[in-house]
Amino acid sequence: MPKINSKVEDVIMARIKAEEITMKPKWYFVMGSVFMLLGLVSLTIGSIFLTNLTLFLLKQHGPMGQWRLETLLNSFSWWIPVLTVLGMTVGVVMLRKYDFSYRKNLTIIVVGFIASIVVSAFLIDYLGLNKIWSQHGPMKKFYQQLENKNMAPGRRQNGSGRFRNRP
Amino acid sequence: MLYIKLTKMTDEEIIRQVQKGDKEIYARIVKRYQDKLIRYATYLVGDYHLASDVIQETFIKAYVNLNGFNIKRKFSSWIYRIAHNEAMNLLKKDKKQFSLGEHVEIDSNIDLEENLIKKELKAQTQRCLKQMSVIYREPLSLYFLEDKTYEEISDILRIPVGTVGTRINRAKVIMKKICQK
Repeated sequence: MPKINSKVEDVIMARIKAEEITMKPKWYFVMGSVFMLLGLVSLTIGSIFLTNLTLFLLKQHGPMGQWRLETLLNSFSWWIPVLTVLGMTVGVVMLRKYDFSYRKNLTIIVVGFIASIVVSAFLIDYLGLNKIWSQHGPMKKFYQQLENKNMAPGRRQNGSGRFRNRP
Repeated sequence: MLYIKLTKMTDEEIIRQVQKGDKEIYARIVKRYQDKLIRYATYLVGDYHLASDVIQETFIKAYVNLNGFNIKRKFSSWIYRIAHNEAMNLLKKDKKQFSLGEHVEIDSNIDLEENLIKKELKAQTQRCLKQMSVIYREPLSLYFLEDKTYEEISDILRIPVGTVGTRINRAKVIMKKICQK
């Protein structure tokens, strides 16, 4: 029958004294925490932006002010909602790394995280920030490209930012 | 003199000293925890020798990551958590069903035997534990055999305190069924 003994202690202390095993420096853990926080914040901001972009594109109407489902399905930039979902998923995985995540109800944390992203996206839409971004500043070109891709061929925007008539 | 001083020091105080560069006194931590952790790992992996390897790796990982330990938190929960992770990694690697060996000697130096009822419960728990699934085996062994509180178990297993309670209650029912067979 094996008996518990102190061999573990001897082996470990011998390896520590021989410097075979060394402690990782404090800055390694500080940097880890900083990168983790930055990653989470970036993912949250990215997810808010992409959710808002999805809303913005969904609000593009076809001729006669009606939805054109077929056009929407054919030309919609599906990578945006896919990337949004991916961002949210990675965000939830990162949130779970934090100590508070297992002390609280995980469902509430996940729902809260997703809800805050969606609400923020709606808020940006409500305040009209996406319209401002699509008409001015460095994001203008990006928005116009997406708008053009998403519209029915007859309503594509010309270079001056105006819609041209259907032929 | 130094020995007396060391025995009076809390785990967290010792860790602070090790972090400052006094490597030698890490031996005190190993001495304090090795038997408890080997016993705990034996409950999980079911083999004394495997458990010893798991715990050796646990102490190495704990030492390497010692600067990442927050002194304000409880060291015992932190090291049990590392032991838990190491044991789970081993269980995942070797998917064959581990069970508690018939000839495993459990170290009983700790003051758990004072209460006769608890002793009987402990012996019964050890017999029945081997037949339980690991998700119930873990909280039950930590609660009854390692004398951990719900909060400590929550920190070790990283599950909510409510879930700890639920699992322990379910484990008791399962154990009752198993033991009464």
